[in-house]
Amino acid sequence: MFDAFRTPDNVLVVGGSSDIGLEIAKALAKRGSSNFLLAGRNIDQMASCANDISSSSKSRCQVAVVHYDASHENSHGHLLAAAKDELKTLDYAIFAVGLLGDQLNDEKDPAKTKEILDINFTTQAMAILEVANYMKEQGFGHIVVISSVAGVRVRRSNFIYGAAKAGLDGFSMALGDALAGSGVGVTVVRPGFVKTKMTAHLSAAPLSTNAEAVAKATLKATDAEKSSVYVPFAIGIVAGIYRHLPRKIARRVPF
Amino acid sequence: MGVGNQTSFGGTNDDTLSFNGEAQRNVMTNELISGWGRTQWVRSQIERASTSEEVRDLVQSGQKRLIPRGLGRSYGDAAQLSGGISLLLDEPSTDPIITDGRTTLSAGYSLDNLLRRIVPKGYFVPVTPGTRYVTLGGALASDIHGKNHHLEGTFSRHIESFAIVTPTGTHLVTENSDPDLFNATAGGMGLTGIVTDMTMKLIPIESAYIKMETSRLRDLDETLATMAGSDHKFRYSVAWIDLMARGSAMGRSVLTRGDHALKADLSPQLAQDPFKYEAKALADAPSFIPNGLLNNLTVRAFNELWFRKAPSYRADEVSTIAAFFHPLDMVGKWNRIYGKKGFLQYQFVLPDGKEEVLREIIERLSGLQVASFLAVLKRFGPENDAFLSFPKPGWTLALDIPITNAEIGNLLDELDRMVLLAGGRIYLAKDSRMSKEVFEEMYPKLDRFKEVKARVDPNNVITSDIATRLSIC
Repeated sequence: MFDAFRTPDNVLVVGGSSDIGLEIAKALAKRGSSNFLLAGRNIDQMASCANDISSSSKSRCQVAVVHYDASHENSHGHLLAAAKDELKTLDYAIFAVGLLGDQLNDEKDPAKTKEILDINFTTQAMAILEVANYMKEQGFGHIVVISSVAGVRVRRSNFIYGAAKAGLDGFSMALGDALAGSGVGVTVVRPGFVKTKMTAHLSAAPLSTNAEAVAKATLKATDAEKSSVYVPFAIGIVAGIYRHLPRKIARRVPF
Repeated sequence: MGVGNQTSFGGTNDDTLSFNGEAQRNVMTNELISGWGRTQWVRSQIERASTSEEVRDLVQSGQKRLIPRGLGRSYGDAAQLSGGISLLLDEPSTDPIITDGRTTLSAGYSLDNLLRRIVPKGYFVPVTPGTRYVTLGGALASDIHGKNHHLEGTFSRHIESFAIVTPTGTHLVTENSDPDLFNATAGGMGLTGIVTDMTMKLIPIESAYIKMETSRLRDLDETLATMAGSDHKFRYSVAWIDLMARGSAMGRSVLTRGDHALKADLSPQLAQDPFKYEAKALADAPSFIPNGLLNNLTVRAFNELWFRKAPSYRADEVSTIAAFFHPLDMVGKWNRIYGKKGFLQYQFVLPDGKEEVLREIIERLSGLQVASFLAVLKRFGPENDAFLSFPKPGWTLALDIPITNAEIGNLLDELDRMVLLAGGRIYLAKDSRMSKEVFEEMYPKLDRFKEVKARVDPNNVITSDIATRLSIC
């Protein structure tokens, strides 16, 4: 259940070892959320995340870990079953799965392209719907989807990843519309360049941010039941201008 | 909307969805509902029943989980069940039959309706909270208290018997016939079953007025000393504390105390119609109010004005019942004034002898400058045997807190700890945020409650959001 400050009791993190997912979970633990389920591929990494979350916790806190590989058949069904097992109610679900890929190589490799699209969009969309339908039945809940400014206007430099995020973003925003009045909310988070292990090999873009800042902005947005939020705020303005630039000009913008 | 709509739920997201008397009878709806604080919104199936047979069919079919809901005035998530049924009892339109000062009524009866019908006959309810928009069922489930707790205890002490439908049977319960079920149900947040009727002792009155004494008290010391010293001389007593006042004025208050006016106390004009009972809602709060309308400045200004308008001392003033007991009911839907994020009410009790803890808590609250309207301070009398009943002898403070950021939640967690260490507790009917651990420690008779719950509802058919949040059952 949520309390009056919209702090959930039970939290599901999909992409359980993602830096952003971890920071959101830690921030929630600090506020008093007491049960977490981390779902992801890397059990070892998630175990260490579980420790981090526990030690951030204000009081008693339990963190469970479940293996979740989106590429397996019916993985979304198993995900929900695990959530029902481990969490008394499914209050708050964070979808933070992300695979950046390597654009220039991936665009020559259809299998790689499919993997990027599947992980960032298709399989997540299925899992999000599974959770959304369950929450609707439950009568309440909140879903956080980590999108990206990369999906606001898809760019040449990472168009596979960007297109997947664009799909995820549109899907989640409209899902939020579909759930209006159901007691279930959806918040789409669009960070700019976040310094995480996913981007460690890249040099930081302007207006870059970090996972703590994304977590803080996410909680602020879900507290206010906002449908979307840019992190940092200014990247939203930049993205807003960039998306309306004539294509010939946009093509020349060097990022 | 005016008075007629006052019986709609505490919070519905959409007025067109709210229940409106006969129009939607027997129509099951799925609504987004919340408590009075408008914080935890959930979808729940709204069902209505008008007879105990209908209640029995619903409860004992075991098809779906449910919780009774009255007028939605509990602040948090006590009267709602997300994904299940929130069950409302129809309010009968019949006049109460009073025999020997007792009356048997449907639990769906509201105090508002009841007072309109019994005050003109020379009777009053034994206990009323600060609003008359509660049902008798809700009053028993929260084991409510009023301004007379220091002398007359909680609501359940005036209930001789009640009929309750549980998943395992239907019972007529008195404190002697089944003390465990009685004491689990009084204050049991509706979790033992659906109370359908109850027999209540009324009190006779000579007029529809209150003879009132008002004292303006300059600080916390004076407030505490005055209340401890002479509350016992008054049937009703409550102090309104200005929590925005700091320094030497910290804890300044206006204490109002009184008793039912005798005929002889009335002016010749009022004496012509001593039982004339008027209780009007003047207007509704507007539906759109920006977050942050109530901020430090506006609330401070209001509190200052309100403190100064009170006489420094005035006795023998005659007030109406509505103005004395239910001043906030004059504004319909006043819970909207806190904006979209809603508000919570923090109410705790501290035992006698823990005045220094009370002082520290008030210092913390006034230091934080929580934009809180007047807080209410009251003395409680003896504790009763009900397992989850809130009052115990000492001091209770209640204050509204608008939801701004989660930081206030941390402060309240710290205050919870102070209250717990001092042997006090938090009121479930107001709670929307305490932790399970704190709750368990504050209510040592929780185990006895759970025993009864396991007996009458082994499958946990009757449950609620607060029950889940605090693991009550």
